[in-house]
Amino acid sequence: MSQQVVCREVLELITGYLEGDLPADTRAAVEEHLSRCDGCTMMLAQFRRTIELTGMLTEEQVSAAQRATLLDAFRDWATA
Amino acid sequence: MELVERLTPSMRRVARMFVSSDAVADECVQETWLGVLQGINGYEGRASLRTWIFRILVNVAKTRGQREARSVPFAALAGDDLDEPALDATAFDATGHWSTLPTDWRGIPDERVTSRETLAVIGRAIDALPPMQAEVIRLRDVLGWTSDEVRNALDLTDTNQRVLLHRARAKVRAAIEEHLRSVSA
Repeated sequence: MSQQVVCREVLELITGYLEGDLPADTRAAVEEHLSRCDGCTMMLAQFRRTIELTGMLTEEQVSAAQRATLLDAFRDWATA
Repeated sequence: MELVERLTPSMRRVARMFVSSDAVADECVQETWLGVLQGINGYEGRASLRTWIFRILVNVAKTRGQREARSVPFAALAGDDLDEPALDATAFDATGHWSTLPTDWRGIPDERVTSRETLAVIGRAIDALPPMQAEVIRLRDVLGWTSDEVRNALDLTDTNQRVLLHRARAKVRAAIEEHLRSVSA
């Protein structure tokens, strides 16, 4: 009897699935579920897109101001 | 200097998790670079260089935090919502299936999805995360570190790294969805 998962469980397994570190039987159950569930397939696509979009951020957008302050501090320290 | 410039913003944020002020966090970062310069001959290349540097940093910052008698519980950094589902219960019916299907982002014009506004929404969503969730998603998805590197650098277990990343991605996804819904309406 193979493992069965419902949508709510698949959602919590998405990151593990994308990381490739689910146990083989869980991975198989997720894949089997995805093959017949449009909602979960859509959600997986949304997670993939989220990762892609997050990857379009630059460190500057995340922390421009902090960077300037700290670099100044480091320069002072390096030349002291 | 390039490495310093590249790693320093993340190092400052990581240090700040363990100590009481930005100034002390800056001192930790400087102490770490000093330690790196002094210890570079002892670097054996088993971990990536940036992981090795972060391990030194986390040690320095934790020690500093202890000296300040500021021991920060893991839950305060990681967020107290790790056991909660990534979507609220109303997304599913009683049998655990979708009650409303997730939206199909592929139908939205690409320039709208990848707009500067969307990226700003993502930036703000990350800033609003508990510190450790924010740092894990920044290192993994913004800076492209591997899971092993992040786990080692931040001294996390495999499971914690994955759970923190999942929570962070789920919240960023929700922020994007809300934004796309508002601009597509």
